[in-house]
Amino acid sequence: MIWQIALGVALLAAWEVIGRNGGGNFVSRPSLIALRIAAWFAGPIYPHLLTTLFELMAGMTIGCALGILAGLALGRAPALAAVLQPVIIGMYSVPLVALAPLFIMFFGLGALPKIVLVASVTFFLLFFHSFAGSRRIDQDQVDALELMGATRFEIFRKVVAPASTVWIIGGIKIALPYALVATVTGELLATRAGLGFLLSQAGEQYDMASLYGVLLILMVLGLLLSEAWSRVETHLLRWRHANA
Amino acid sequence: MPDTTMAGTLLADKIRLDSVGKNFRMRGKIIEALQPVDLSVRTEEFIALVGPSGCGKSTILNLVAGLMPASSGRVLYDGAPVAGVNRRVGYMTQKDTLLPWRNTADNVRIALELNCRAMPKADAARRVAQMIAQVGLCGFETHFPAELSGGMRKRAALARTLIYQPETLLMDEPFGALDAQLKLVMLDQLQRLTRDRRMTVLFVTHDLAEAITLADRIVIFSGRPGRIRSVHDIDLPRPRDVFRIRFTPEFARLNEQLWDELQDDVIAGAAT
Repeated sequence: MIWQIALGVALLAAWEVIGRNGGGNFVSRPSLIALRIAAWFAGPIYPHLLTTLFELMAGMTIGCALGILAGLALGRAPALAAVLQPVIIGMYSVPLVALAPLFIMFFGLGALPKIVLVASVTFFLLFFHSFAGSRRIDQDQVDALELMGATRFEIFRKVVAPASTVWIIGGIKIALPYALVATVTGELLATRAGLGFLLSQAGEQYDMASLYGVLLILMVLGLLLSEAWSRVETHLLRWRHANA
Repeated sequence: MPDTTMAGTLLADKIRLDSVGKNFRMRGKIIEALQPVDLSVRTEEFIALVGPSGCGKSTILNLVAGLMPASSGRVLYDGAPVAGVNRRVGYMTQKDTLLPWRNTADNVRIALELNCRAMPKADAARRVAQMIAQVGLCGFETHFPAELSGGMRKRAALARTLIYQPETLLMDEPFGALDAQLKLVMLDQLQRLTRDRRMTVLFVTHDLAEAITLADRIVIFSGRPGRIRSVHDIDLPRPRDVFRIRFTPEFARLNEQLWDELQDDVIAGAAT
């Protein structure tokens, strides 16, 4: 730990020294970046941060909900899944981020195109994960409930859905960074707010301190999101960690 | 079967197998798991199916539960052919099918949560507590299956099956993996719970002593392909003292007699 901190300090110091001694226009300096970030957090960053977070959360919520439902449903309907498989694989083969310009044309410059983009990225990841999860259901558990008189829907709710949570939670974990990428990509292309907007503005103005500042904020945001989700995971899957 | 000759007994048959056979297809080859067998089980009877592994005992349970169709013959339950899953039976498989994300109490309650026997939450909670006490799991209500020992999991599975009071209980070597002492405790509980509730029981085991201790009749199977070798009435008086009955001369006599029937197949089965 001490050595890691020392390494970090040394790297920052080296960066600062290079920046101060004619490192050129693209290097900037940690001290400038820190000042810029401090100034942002005194007020002007919040609307952008909230915009990005809102687009991310809204998109993920919609994408997760639809992806999980579709994945579980098709997982339990193998015949339908076989019919739809080429369509789904085909759609998934399009690099989804490449759809951003299309969504901007459809939905304008507001939050909507980003939400749709994030939702479609999340949808596929969650779809594949919950599909895989529902195909690995223990048939003996299903039989046991059927013998008790459970309807198909009850079996779905009490066995299939909870058994798939392991996969769904894993899917959300993988989807989080992709969703962040999709949000920022959408904002880079055309927007009036959001961290991606700050990033593209900084780039256009050769404002290196702001550019590095936004990147740093995005990195921390990504780490926080993934850490928060890990905690949710530990709580939801506590039965797995239980050991006699 | 001699029991089916009288019309009166015929009506009282809870379960009847009419030359029921079962084949499986494995890698393109057809394997005969069960040669056509005839068997009738009277209401409230406790029948043990004993035989070497692979003799089709478990197949019979699956057929009665309606989890698979027979390849030939008819499976009758209350006189009607079993078509699809038979919801009148409770089935305890070899592997317990507790849901790992539910704790003991939630696992035991699951049958009471279903629409087909919807009841007020308080009633369900009371019955769960009662059932958990009956199988001796007090204090483990909030433990997850992963936190329970093998014996406790079996008890939880038994409680989960008995709580909805199925009229017939199918059990497939439910206590096979337990140590000898714990097994006796479980057998005692099983005898008490099933006799109190006047249940019909089909109990698959390879443990002859277990079968003699519990059963009204023992059906001995021979292996591969499975077929019935002989059927024996166990006329030991009830209720039986599960812990001491094995020291009685009647028990020893039955044990020896049945072992003679069984041993050729067991030895042959062990050699394969």
